[in-house]
Amino acid sequence: MDAQTTSVLNRIIRRIPNKNIEDLLKKWNCLSADQLRALDYTRPKWVIVEHVISFCEENRLNMKHITNLEMIYHIENPDRGTWHACQLAEAQDDAVCVELTQFKEQFKAHLHGVIRHISIKLKKHEDEAIWIRIAWGDNFNKPNHLKPTYVVHHLHTSYVFISNLTAKHKIYLCQALVIATKHGSIKDGHLSTKSLTAMRDLLLRRYQQVFPNAHSRILQDRNTVSSHPCIGKEHGDHEEMRRQMSCEAFGLGPSPKLETAVYRLETRYRGTGDHSLGDREEFFRGVVRFSSSGLLDSLRHCVASGIAEGPVTPLLSAITQRGRNYFVITDKGPGVSSQASAQTAPSQQTL
Amino acid sequence: MDSFMETMEQGVLGHLMALERGGMGRQKQHDSQRSETLKARAVTLRAKRDQLKHHTDVVKTLKDKIVKGLPLRDEDAAADGFVELQKSLLTAWRMQLKDLQRAHHLIGNFAPVKSHRAHCHCRSIVPSLSGGYDLVECKDGKSACVSFHTAFEGVRLETYSVELDLTRAVQISRHNVPPSFPLESLAKRTLQKDLKAFLQTLSQNLNALAARRRQVCLLKELVGSVEVMESNQLCSVLVLMCTAQSEAPKAVLCTLEYGDLAQCLPTRVSIECEDKVLSGSPQWKKNQSLLLESPAHTALLTMRRMGSIS
Repeated sequence: MDAQTTSVLNRIIRRIPNKNIEDLLKKWNCLSADQLRALDYTRPKWVIVEHVISFCEENRLNMKHITNLEMIYHIENPDRGTWHACQLAEAQDDAVCVELTQFKEQFKAHLHGVIRHISIKLKKHEDEAIWIRIAWGDNFNKPNHLKPTYVVHHLHTSYVFISNLTAKHKIYLCQALVIATKHGSIKDGHLSTKSLTAMRDLLLRRYQQVFPNAHSRILQDRNTVSSHPCIGKEHGDHEEMRRQMSCEAFGLGPSPKLETAVYRLETRYRGTGDHSLGDREEFFRGVVRFSSSGLLDSLRHCVASGIAEGPVTPLLSAITQRGRNYFVITDKGPGVSSQASAQTAPSQQTL
Repeated sequence: MDSFMETMEQGVLGHLMALERGGMGRQKQHDSQRSETLKARAVTLRAKRDQLKHHTDVVKTLKDKIVKGLPLRDEDAAADGFVELQKSLLTAWRMQLKDLQRAHHLIGNFAPVKSHRAHCHCRSIVPSLSGGYDLVECKDGKSACVSFHTAFEGVRLETYSVELDLTRAVQISRHNVPPSFPLESLAKRTLQKDLKAFLQTLSQNLNALAARRRQVCLLKELVGSVEVMESNQLCSVLVLMCTAQSEAPKAVLCTLEYGDLAQCLPTRVSIECEDKVLSGSPQWKKNQSLLLESPAHTALLTMRRMGSIS
């Protein structure tokens, strides 16, 4: 095993807490049962690492096996690193017929055609997700396995999730994706999170959405104290209305765990106090950042409890509706489609 | 007075017995009075009941006449007077329209209700319960929400909703249709030109998707011996591994391709087996056509019953 292989292995095992190493090695299935039994997980990490490296050398494992281990680790722990979403656009007519083998062939063929030294690994997970690991080299250097890019794509959807991609390689990856999925273009999704699960839940709509419907009523799942027959809710209707509004905007039940939403302001100052600020021609630049361990849950609670006044402003509901968490707000008015405008009047809701 | 003197002579117990006799007499009177009033009340209630029965009969006959499209005659309710006739007519129409509305909700025919003919047509389709859709207008007409109900073989499956923004041009603002479904390309093709056609096509495709998904579920549930080798979110291809029953059980790979996503039956079925004789046999040719013509789970159950597969 060469130096790069050993360092990659080293890095993987150092990241995992000792108690999870055993499961991962079992899933990997490259070490024999005796070797697995010989490992003592109560020893310090560096001892375990050394043992694993010596076992791998015994079994004559090479970079292919180690990268497989790394992929298994990432698939099991998708919420590491920072993920960005991209959206494919302009689907061609036969985009729906693209099959897994076709996708794999086209993707690999394109990348191998443009870069001489590159290592690509594709794996289909049981939940229909295709995981791709790319170690980039160039025409003179071998692939660098210490900084691989991970890409996750669900076939037939228009979303691609990317982690750890440098600007230099972005264009190659985008081209390959567009060709392999039979679309016309790919653009930035303006959504980045630490948790791939949250991103997938939001974009693939794996949370329960609520739509205005003549025949349904949201059930009060959290039954509060007032179930006593002598206690009547004076503002029951208002509460119900606020609850309906909040669930329509942010979903019902557990929402995807987004952590931040960033609004970059490029607007002119409009306050009544200091006129010198308002007279200037240049923008009053600012960044508003919402942070939370569960952003959508907290926003929903704000609206449902009455802390934030309804109807829900489109600036906030755009997080779930458009599936993004980075917005640039300008003064131009509601004509600009890709940006949420500060000028939009709150929409009237009748109930 | 005499009886009083008598009882006085018989002592305290005698006195008490006399009082008791007196009380009983008064209660009997009270009872008879009460029974008289109750009888009178019963008579009035019966009369009222008969009147209401007559009234509902009138309304029912009017409604039947509306349904059958027969002309209404004045003699039907002439006895009660013109105002009564009007009232009965209104009630009859209201009941009729409510029935139609319910039928619409179940079937989801987007065309406006034309006449009784539509109602009769609805009546014949309701037992087979195909999926339909309803449209709800909200935000003072600025947006509308369409709910598509899907069903397959009489079983109601999922409901998908699409919210349309009607302010400038008709656009989809949000939806809960599965992301692998080509909603954007469908919308690009037909939404702006013809809303009704778009909703019809979408309803048809969503129903077909739900039907294909349900077939895969039923297959896994009912025919446990068949293994699903490959499938995808859109259920556009299904690869099954069956075990053919012969002296030596052989594996047969059936590939079902659903080329038309608006249909719940495959467009192409191919059978592969190591033993070329088996895959070319008339029995398997018949199985191939069975898989083309009927839903996957029914075809496989038939094949198992006929002994082709285990």
